[in-house]
Amino acid sequence: MAASILKVVGIAKSFGGVQALKGVSLEIDAGEIHCLAGENGSGKSTLIKVISGVHEPDAGSIEIVGRRLSRLSPMEAIALGIQVIYQDFSVFPNLSVMENLALNMELMDKRALMNWGRARAIAAHAVSLIGFEVDLDERVENLSVADRQLVAICRALLHDSKLIIMDEPTSALTKKEVKALFAVIKSLQSRGISILFVSHKLDEVFEISERFTILRNGENVAAGSTEELDHRTFAFHMTGREFAEASYKSDRAPGPPVLSVKGLSQVGSYEGISFDLAQGEILGITGLLGSGRTELVETLFGISSPDSGSIEIAGREVRMRSVKDAIALGIGYVPSDRLTEGLFLPQSIERNAVIGVLGRLCNSLGLLNRRAVAELMSKWIAELSIAAKDPSLPVKTLSGGNQQKVVLARWLASELSVLILNGPTMGVDIGAKYDIHALMRELASKGLAIIIVSDDLPEVLACASRILVMRDGAFIQELEPATTTESRLGELSTGVA
Amino acid sequence: MISIRSMTRRSEPYVFAAIVALSLLIQARSGQFFTGNNLVDLARALIVPALFSIGCMLVIVSGGIDVSFTAIASLAMYVTDKTLLASGYSGSVLLAYAMSGALGLLMGALNGGLIGFLKLPTLVVTLGTGSLFTGVMYGVFAASASDVPPAIAAHGKQTLFTAVNLESGLTSNMPSQVLILVGALVLVFLLIRYTMLGRGIYAIGGDEAAAERAGFSVAWIKLFLYSFVGLLAGITGVARISMISYADPSTMLGMELTVIAAVVLGGTRVTGGLGTLTGTIFGVTLMTILANSLILIGIPTYWSRVFTGAVIIVGTGVSARQIGSARRRVRTLQKEA
Amino acid sequence: MKRSFVSVLAVALVFVLAVPLFGQSYDPMKFKSSKPQAAWKIALVPKDATNAWFVRMESGVKRYAKDTGINVFQKGPPKTDAAMQAQVIEDLIAQGVDAICVVPVDPSALEPVLGKALSKGIVVIDHEGASQQNCLYDIEAFSNEGLGQALMQVLAKSMGEKGTYTTMVGNVTNASHNEWADAGVAYQKAKYPNMTLLAAEPRVEIMDNLDTAYQRAKELFKKYPDLKGIFGTSSLSTPGTARAIEELGLKGKAFVTSVGLPNENKPYLKSGTVQAVMLWDSAEAGYAMLATAVAVLKGEKIANGINLKGKGWESMTFAPESTKVLLGKSWISITKDNVDSFGF
Repeated sequence: MAASILKVVGIAKSFGGVQALKGVSLEIDAGEIHCLAGENGSGKSTLIKVISGVHEPDAGSIEIVGRRLSRLSPMEAIALGIQVIYQDFSVFPNLSVMENLALNMELMDKRALMNWGRARAIAAHAVSLIGFEVDLDERVENLSVADRQLVAICRALLHDSKLIIMDEPTSALTKKEVKALFAVIKSLQSRGISILFVSHKLDEVFEISERFTILRNGENVAAGSTEELDHRTFAFHMTGREFAEASYKSDRAPGPPVLSVKGLSQVGSYEGISFDLAQGEILGITGLLGSGRTELVETLFGISSPDSGSIEIAGREVRMRSVKDAIALGIGYVPSDRLTEGLFLPQSIERNAVIGVLGRLCNSLGLLNRRAVAELMSKWIAELSIAAKDPSLPVKTLSGGNQQKVVLARWLASELSVLILNGPTMGVDIGAKYDIHALMRELASKGLAIIIVSDDLPEVLACASRILVMRDGAFIQELEPATTTESRLGELSTGVA
Repeated sequence: MISIRSMTRRSEPYVFAAIVALSLLIQARSGQFFTGNNLVDLARALIVPALFSIGCMLVIVSGGIDVSFTAIASLAMYVTDKTLLASGYSGSVLLAYAMSGALGLLMGALNGGLIGFLKLPTLVVTLGTGSLFTGVMYGVFAASASDVPPAIAAHGKQTLFTAVNLESGLTSNMPSQVLILVGALVLVFLLIRYTMLGRGIYAIGGDEAAAERAGFSVAWIKLFLYSFVGLLAGITGVARISMISYADPSTMLGMELTVIAAVVLGGTRVTGGLGTLTGTIFGVTLMTILANSLILIGIPTYWSRVFTGAVIIVGTGVSARQIGSARRRVRTLQKEA
Repeated sequence: MKRSFVSVLAVALVFVLAVPLFGQSYDPMKFKSSKPQAAWKIALVPKDATNAWFVRMESGVKRYAKDTGINVFQKGPPKTDAAMQAQVIEDLIAQGVDAICVVPVDPSALEPVLGKALSKGIVVIDHEGASQQNCLYDIEAFSNEGLGQALMQVLAKSMGEKGTYTTMVGNVTNASHNEWADAGVAYQKAKYPNMTLLAAEPRVEIMDNLDTAYQRAKELFKKYPDLKGIFGTSSLSTPGTARAIEELGLKGKAFVTSVGLPNENKPYLKSGTVQAVMLWDSAEAGYAMLATAVAVLKGEKIANGINLKGKGWESMTFAPESTKVLLGKSWISITKDNVDSFGF
C-alpha cells in the first residue's frame, strides 16, 4: 500500500456555535484520486479550508507526508505541496494567461519587479506540464470555462504539488470538457500527484475516483472503495433518505395542446421547430451546448423574436414582443443560472416569491396587502416544502435547491399554463434534485404543461413524458423515455455513434 | 472565439480615429488646426486634465472610483499658495510642488486608509472626503481667489519653446509644466508595466479575492494607490495655478466628471481591470480638443456643454456596450455549459 | 380626508406667501430721530468681516466717522453666512442702534430680523439687495445700462473707436453680465459706427473660469484674425484674455476690458496690455450707505438727484417704477496709475 500523503483525524470546527465539522477523518494516499462527496452544508468546504490552512481546527490532527502538524498556515500548506483549485478558479480574468500563471510564483519569491521574460518562461513551462495548448497572451476572460480551469490547474502544478484539491471542478463544464478534465486528472495521477475531487455528482465519482469519503452534517458517514458504491447507497449516504425514481407518465387523457409551435426559425439559432405540448405533459428537450436549445426556449418566453413560424397558445396564434407578454399569456421560465437571473438575492424570500403577482396583491390604493402576501407565501412554502425559517430572510440564506424552489414558487403564484425550466437542477445537490423532480411531476399531474431543457440525461429520462433531441438548431428525433437509453440519447445529441 | 475577441477589442484605434476626424474637421473649418501654435495651445490645455486622468485611470483599473481628486488638488494648492504668500517665500517653485504634493499625498492616504483597511466603498469615501476637503477649504481657510507667490508666478512664465504661426504671426508658448506630464507618464508606465505593485493594481481590479489569495497585500496596494493619486493631484494643483498665475479655489472643482468620462472614453473598463495610458491620453486629448475648438469649428460656445455631453454619452456608451455584450456572451456560454 | 389636507395646505401656502407680499410698508419720514446727532449709533453690516472687499468698505466707514463725527461702525459675521449675519443684526437691535446699513448675504433670509428692526423704529438701508422688502432704501452703485456704456467707452478708446469686437460673459445665465453686454453693444451702435460686433460669435461664455477665458480668447484670435477687442463682463475676462493676448504676441493689436479687481489685473495694466478695467469702490459704497441713513434720521426727503456724497454717488436716481431702489454712477476706472492705491 502506498504511503499516505494526507491523514486528518478527528477534525472538529465550529463557527459561532454552529458545529460545521464534528470529528471528521480523511486519508489520501500518494497518487490516489479520492472523492469527497456530500450535500451543501455537509462540511466539505470547511474541511478543505482546514486542510489548506485557511481555518484552524478546534480539535483533531493533521498529518501531511508523515509530518504531524498542530497548526497550518495557508503558506505552509502551499509549501508542503497542497494546492486548492476553487470553484471560481481564483484567476484574474483581465490579465493574460501568462500573468495568471506567473504572478503567484513571483509573489511567492517576493519579487518587486515584473520580469516579462521570466513570466513567459514560467508560463510556458506550466502549460507544457499537461500539454495545454493556449495563447499565453490571451486574456483569461476570453477563454472558455474549461480553459480557465486548466489555467488554474497549470498554476497549481508550478508549486511542486503533492495534493491538488479540486472543489466541484465540473460544475460549469460540458460533458466533453469533463472528459478532457478527467484525462488531465489521470495524467496528474500518473506523475504521482494525489487529487482530492470534491463533487456531489455520482457519475463522476464512479468514473474518476478510486476511493471516496462521504460527509453528512459534519460527520463521516461512509468511506471506502468506489467499486463498492452504487447509485442507491450513494444517494442514501448523501442525504440519509431513500429514493426511488420511476419514469414519469402522464395519467391524463391527452387533451388539446396548450402550446403549439409550428415551423419556428431564428437565423443562426434554430430552424423549423414544430411541436405540441398538452396539459400534464413534461416535454424534455435535450441537446449539446450550442444546439440552439436555450435560444429556442428564450423565444418561447419572449426574450427574443423568431424570424419565421408561429406560436399558438390554447389554439390561438400569439406574438410575444417581451417577457411581459409571455407572462401575461401564462408562460413561466426558470433560467438555469438562478443566482444571477432568477432572484434578487439580498431581498427576502417573500418578496422574491411574490414579485410576479404584485399587481394582484395590491389594494385599490396601489398599496401592498401584507396579509395577502403572507397567506400566499405560507401556502407555497408548505406546498414546495421550502426549508425556510422565516420568509422575511434574504433568499441568499437558502441552499441552492431551496432557492430554485423559491423561483418555482414565484411562477406558480402567478397561475401558469406552461412552465419552462432550463437546467432545473444544475448545481443543485442530490436531495434537492429529487425534491424538484417530484415537484415537477406533481405539478404536471395537476395539469401544468412543463418543458425541461437539460443535458443531464438521467434527469430527462426520469422526468420527461416525451423527449425531443436537438442538434444544430433542429429537432432530430422524438423519443419515448420508456423505450430509450442514456447512451442512445447521448449518441443522438452528439451525432456520434 | 473570434466573436468574443472582436467584441472586447481595444478601443484606442477608435478614439484615435475620432481625434483624427475631429482634427481634419477643425482644419477644414478654420485652417488653424495643424499650425504650430494651435498644437502648442492644445498641449497646454491638455496638461491639467491629462495629469488628473492618469491617477483616475489607475483608480478605475483597480475597480474603484475617485471623485475627490479635484478637491484634493484645490485644497493642497490653496494651502500651499497661502502659506508661501504669507511667509514671503521667494525661492524655488520646487518647494511649492513638494508642499502641495505632500498635502495631496496625506489627503489621498486618508482615502486609501478608509478604502483599503476599513474596506469602505470607494464612491462613498471619495464623495465624502471630496466634500470634506472642499468644506475645509471654504470653511476653515475661507478660501477666495488669490494671487500666487512670486516663485509660482515666475514658474508660470517659464516656457520650453515658442511656436510661431508664420501666416498670422501668432505665437504660443509651450509651458514648462508639460514636463511634469511627461514625467508622470513615464513614471506610471514603469509602475504599471514593470513592478509587482503596478500589476497588483490590475490584479485587484480583475478579482480582489483572487489577488488576496495570490499573495498581494490588497489593503497596502490600495493605500499606495490613493496616496499616489493624491500626490499627483497636489502637484497638478500647483501646475494649474502657475499656468494662469491665479489661485482660484474653484477653478478645478467639477472637472472630475469630465476627467472620468475621458478615462472611460479611452477604453478603461468602468468595472476595473483594464485600462491603458495610451487610451487614457487619447480620451483626454479628444475631450480637450473638443472643449477648446468649438470656436474654431464655428459653433457658439453655448453649445459646448451639449457637445461635451454628447461625446461622453456616445463614447462611454460604446465602451459600456462592448463590456455588456462580451459579458452576455460569456454568461450564455457558462449558462449553457 | 384628502380634501381637508389639500385645503390646509392651501391655507398654509397663502399664509407663507402673504407674509412678504403684504409685508408692512414703512414711511421713511416717520423715522426722523428725536435724539441729538451726537447720540446716534449707526452700524454697517457687511457680508463678511474679513473679505478684502469689505475691509476696503470699512475704510469708507472710518472716513465717514472722521468727516461727520457721528458714531458709525462696521460689524460683520466672521464668514459669508446668512444665519451668522442675521445673528449680528439681532445683536445690534439689542444694543439699540439707530440705523442699520446692510449688504445682505441673502435678502430673503434677513426679512424677519430686518422687519423686527424696522418695527422698533430702526432705520434699515440695503446695498446690493434690490429684492429686500424690509428696508427703507436700497442703494445700488450703478444701473446695468450705465456700467455697460462705461465699459464700452473704455474698450472703444483702446481700439481707437474702430475694428471688430465681441462680448464675453461669465456665464450665459448671468443676468447682469448679459445686461451689461447688451447695453455696451447698444451704446457702440449709437456712438461708434466704425466698430462692428463679431457676427459669427457675438457672445462667448467662459464658465466663470479664468483658464477658460484664456482658452476662449486664444481660439477667438486664431479663428478671427480681424478681431481687435473683447468686451468682457466677469472680472475673470480681463486677466484671462490679457494673458492670451501677451502669449499670442498681440499686445498693442488686441484689447480687452471688463469689471476687474486691481491686484488681478496689475501685471497687465503695468505691462500696457490692458488700459483700464472698471470697478466700483466699496469704500465709497459704505460712505453712501451711511449718508443715506443719516439723511433719513435727519428727516430729509429722499428724491431723485439726491447727493449721497460718495464718489459717483453724487446724483442718485430711483430705478424705474421704484421708490426704494436708488441707482448711482459709481464706477471708477483702474489704470496703471491708480492700481497700487487700493490695497486689494
